[in-house]
Amino acid sequence: MNRVLSIVAREIYASPVQYVAETQDDDASLARRIAASDTGAEAEFCRRFAPRIRLFGRKWLRSEAAAADLVQDVLLMALQKLRAGAVRDPERIASFMLGTARQMMVDSRRSSGRRERILDTFPVDLIPDQASATEPLDEQRLRHCLQALPERERAVLVMTFYDDCPADALGKQLGLNAGHVRVIRHRGLDHLRSCMEAEGSQ
Amino acid sequence: MNQHQHPTAELLAYWLDELDEAAAAKIEVHLFECASCSAALQELVRIGDALRRELRSGNVGTVVSAEFVRRLQADGLRIREYTLRPGESVNCTVAPDDDLVISYLHAPLGEVRQVDLVFADFDGGSPHRSAHIPFDAASGVVTVVPPMAVLRAMGHARKRMQLLAVEDASERVLAEYTFNHAPYDALGSGTDF
Repeated sequence: MNRVLSIVAREIYASPVQYVAETQDDDASLARRIAASDTGAEAEFCRRFAPRIRLFGRKWLRSEAAAADLVQDVLLMALQKLRAGAVRDPERIASFMLGTARQMMVDSRRSSGRRERILDTFPVDLIPDQASATEPLDEQRLRHCLQALPERERAVLVMTFYDDCPADALGKQLGLNAGHVRVIRHRGLDHLRSCMEAEGSQ
Repeated sequence: MNQHQHPTAELLAYWLDELDEAAAAKIEVHLFECASCSAALQELVRIGDALRRELRSGNVGTVVSAEFVRRLQADGLRIREYTLRPGESVNCTVAPDDDLVISYLHAPLGEVRQVDLVFADFDGGSPHRSAHIPFDAASGVVTVVPPMAVLRAMGHARKRMQLLAVEDASERVLAEYTFNHAPYDALGSGTDF
C-alpha cells in the first residue's frame, strides 16, 4: 500500500496535464473496488482525484503548498472512509470528494494531532517536492509565442494571470469594459495556444 | 463518466471568480466529476503560472497599468522607474539587482481611440511598432515594461519611443521621448540615473 501510493503520488505530479481519466472503471467502480479491499484500485483512484483536489485547493487557498497538503489530507481521508465502507453512495463519489475537500479546507480547527493520526494509518508521503508539482511548460516556446501576440492581448493575459485578476477589475485599470477584456483575453489565449501547439509540432 | 467539455471561457471565468455563487458551485461540482474539464482548467492554470514567472523574471516586454506596477512592487519586485513628459529625455540604465524597469509616458490621451507605440534607434535601425496598446485615457499615462534581456544587453544607446494616435486611415504623433541608455558598469558614483 505504501509503495503503491508513493508511486502514484509521483505519477500524479510528474505529468499533471497528460492526465487522462478514460480507463475501464469509472470513479464509482473504483470506489466500490476500494471498499471491497482491492488495493490496486486505490492507486488509480488517487491518480484521478489528486489533480481535481489540487485544482480546488489552488483556487481557494491560492498556494501550491497548501493545495498539496489538501490533496494528501483529502485522499487519505477518502481512502480511510472507503476502506471502512463509510461512503454510503459510491455512485456519488465525486460529490463526496468535493464535500470532503470543502470541509477540510474550511475546518480551521483541524488539529495537527488529527492529521498525524491519519498519516499513521497511511504512513506515506503524498506530498511531492515543489519542483515536480509544477512541471513548467516549454518556457522558451512560451516566450516566443508571447512576444508574437498583439500587444493588447499580451498585456491582458499577463495582467490577468499575474494575480488572477477578473475582467471587471482589469477593465477599470485599462479603460475597457469587462466584456471587452474577456474578448481580448479569449482571443489572446487562443493565439497563444495555437502558437504553442504549432511550435510543438515542428 | 461525464465527458461534456466546458468552454475555456467558462472555466477561466470560474477560476477568476467572475461567476455568481450558483454558477461557480455548478462548475466546481462538474470539475470533480469530469476529468477532461479538470485537465483543461489545469492547463490554463499552468499557462498562467508560466506567464507569471516570465513577467517576474523580466522576460516579457509589454504595456501595463500603473496600478499593476504598484502590485508588482507590493510583491517585492525591485523596479527602476522613469517618468517622462512629452518631448523629454532621460538618462537611464538597468542595475544588476533590478527586476524590472518601467517607463511612465505622459501623453494627451483624451479622445484618443487607438494608440500605437513605436520604438526606434537614432542610428537608423528599423523601428518596431506595437499597434493598439492598452491605455487608460483618464490617467494620461502609458506604462511600458521593456524586456530586461534587451536592456541588459544594451550598450550605450540613444532610443526613442513615440506614441501615435491612430484614427481611421490617419495617424498623428502624440508625444516623443528619448532614452539615453548607459550600461550600469559604465556609470560612476553620483550619476543621476
